[in-house]
Amino acid sequence: MPQKPDIPGKGIVKGLGITMKTALETMFPDGPLKPPSPSKGAATVQYPHEKEEPVTRARGVIALKIENCTACMLCARECPDWCIYIEAHKTLAPPRREGGKPRSVNELDRFDFDYSLCMYCGICVEVCPFEALFWSPEYEYSETRIGDLLHDKSRLDQWMDTVPDFEQYEAGSEMKVKKVPR
Amino acid sequence: MTAITDRQKLQYMAAKAADARVNVELETEGMILNMGPQHPATHGTLRIVARLDGEQVISAEPIAGYMHRGYEKLSEVRSFPQVTTLINRIDWLGSFANEVPFILACEQLMEIEAPPRAQWIRTLLFEMSRVANLILFLGDMGVQLGAVTPAFYAFRDREFVLDQIEAVTGGRFHPNFDRIGGLLDDLPKGWLAETKQVMVKVRRFCDEIDDLLMGAETFESRMRGIGVIPPDVAMQYGLSGPNARGSGIDWDNRRDNCFGLVYPELDWKVWTHPDGDSYARFWVRLQEVREATKMIDQLCDGLPGGPIMAKVPRIIKVPTGEAYVATENPLGEMGYYVISKGGLNPFRVKIRSASFNNVSITPWLLRGVYVPDIITILGSLYFILGDIDR
Repeated sequence: MPQKPDIPGKGIVKGLGITMKTALETMFPDGPLKPPSPSKGAATVQYPHEKEEPVTRARGVIALKIENCTACMLCARECPDWCIYIEAHKTLAPPRREGGKPRSVNELDRFDFDYSLCMYCGICVEVCPFEALFWSPEYEYSETRIGDLLHDKSRLDQWMDTVPDFEQYEAGSEMKVKKVPR
Repeated sequence: MTAITDRQKLQYMAAKAADARVNVELETEGMILNMGPQHPATHGTLRIVARLDGEQVISAEPIAGYMHRGYEKLSEVRSFPQVTTLINRIDWLGSFANEVPFILACEQLMEIEAPPRAQWIRTLLFEMSRVANLILFLGDMGVQLGAVTPAFYAFRDREFVLDQIEAVTGGRFHPNFDRIGGLLDDLPKGWLAETKQVMVKVRRFCDEIDDLLMGAETFESRMRGIGVIPPDVAMQYGLSGPNARGSGIDWDNRRDNCFGLVYPELDWKVWTHPDGDSYARFWVRLQEVREATKMIDQLCDGLPGGPIMAKVPRIIKVPTGEAYVATENPLGEMGYYVISKGGLNPFRVKIRSASFNNVSITPWLLRGVYVPDIITILGSLYFILGDIDR
């Protein structure tokens, strides 16, 4: 516990000294004799003009790799607030090998994410068994109409360009670094 | 003579009547002061109805429930992995700490144990969320009493902690990182070194608060002796966490009732204060932030290698049974009573949150205090509205 100060008002003056010190450090981040640059010393950034780089794992928006999706509906089923809408139909794809039979695949008709409902929990990305969903740290997709927050599959596919590579793990980890399909 | 006596009697009666008239005119009525539901001192939508006599509170009643979101009922219609999404919105300032007791209760029912590395990272993030939560209290307490500067310092330094949590989990406030049997992902490279640097900044912030607030005479005179909770009353109302330790009750779930986390392997201390007033509660929280930074340093140094996920079936079904696990969250004891009937969803989840009990002492505590002290007492009890209403 702090000792009671002998001089009255000593504690307040000490507090004011800390405020003063912080103000000077913000005004003169390069040193007392250099010209002041408060925008450099400040803890904040002027948002629309300069932007902070989000971390690699930041949950900004979910990107969809259309070719990998098989419309298995796992993500739509596991979503806590059911904001994923999937419709698909069966088609025949050309065979993988020469002279083989044509394969039966699911082709996506509709893959919509309703970002006005999404809670950004990441369960869909986690349960996807075919590596079709990825997190992108992109965050600037606000709209003036709430209906525009429903991203269709072409828009979700465009987010794939913004998906960063997975980071290396800390020492001692046994996890394998996954790869983003490009 | 009799006439004079009558006159004296009449004068006496007239004087009495005049006095009575004056008294009737000056007589004060009780007033009902309605604080909230929207009030900056209540951190949300808590309403306090206080009956005043002049400046003094005769009785005060907290009315909660304006932000009831029904998480206990919603949990019954969500599968076990989905529940963590809901429950980290209970105490939104230390959200990772909300997930841990629920996951531990489910692991107890499924009879699996997370690997050591997962337990260490859990404890690490648990303490990080405690630091992020309590830093805001330290700054916020100044705002309640009219000192705005500490709040800015608190938001500045909390951001470093939140950045570290975001670098691991992907979410600043809603990590949703804990899974039954382990964790979602491992730490990214270089994270431990950055965290230790952040802890240096947090310790510097604690020293700043020490000089800015703890030493200031005005702060001290408004906090000392205000809202004294004796230990026996604290026990009766079921206070927990720093509020109980500020009253001198040496009880900490991390030390006394630790389950599934690695606190016994660390070197740390439970701080208590005998006074039980607002100053003591503030002091205990300040020491807890310092203690948490020390713990995080130890956890970063001693992190073992290995897997972070135990063997868990892909579709999680929790066997029939009941389990109660409580941990020491930033606000106090938080526990989940999980009942499972063997299905995909929990049958019933009872959430014991710390703030509900901590705020239930306010009618006892606010009786007889002055109006400005209501703010001091509510601020020093430190509740989160989401934690009261769930």
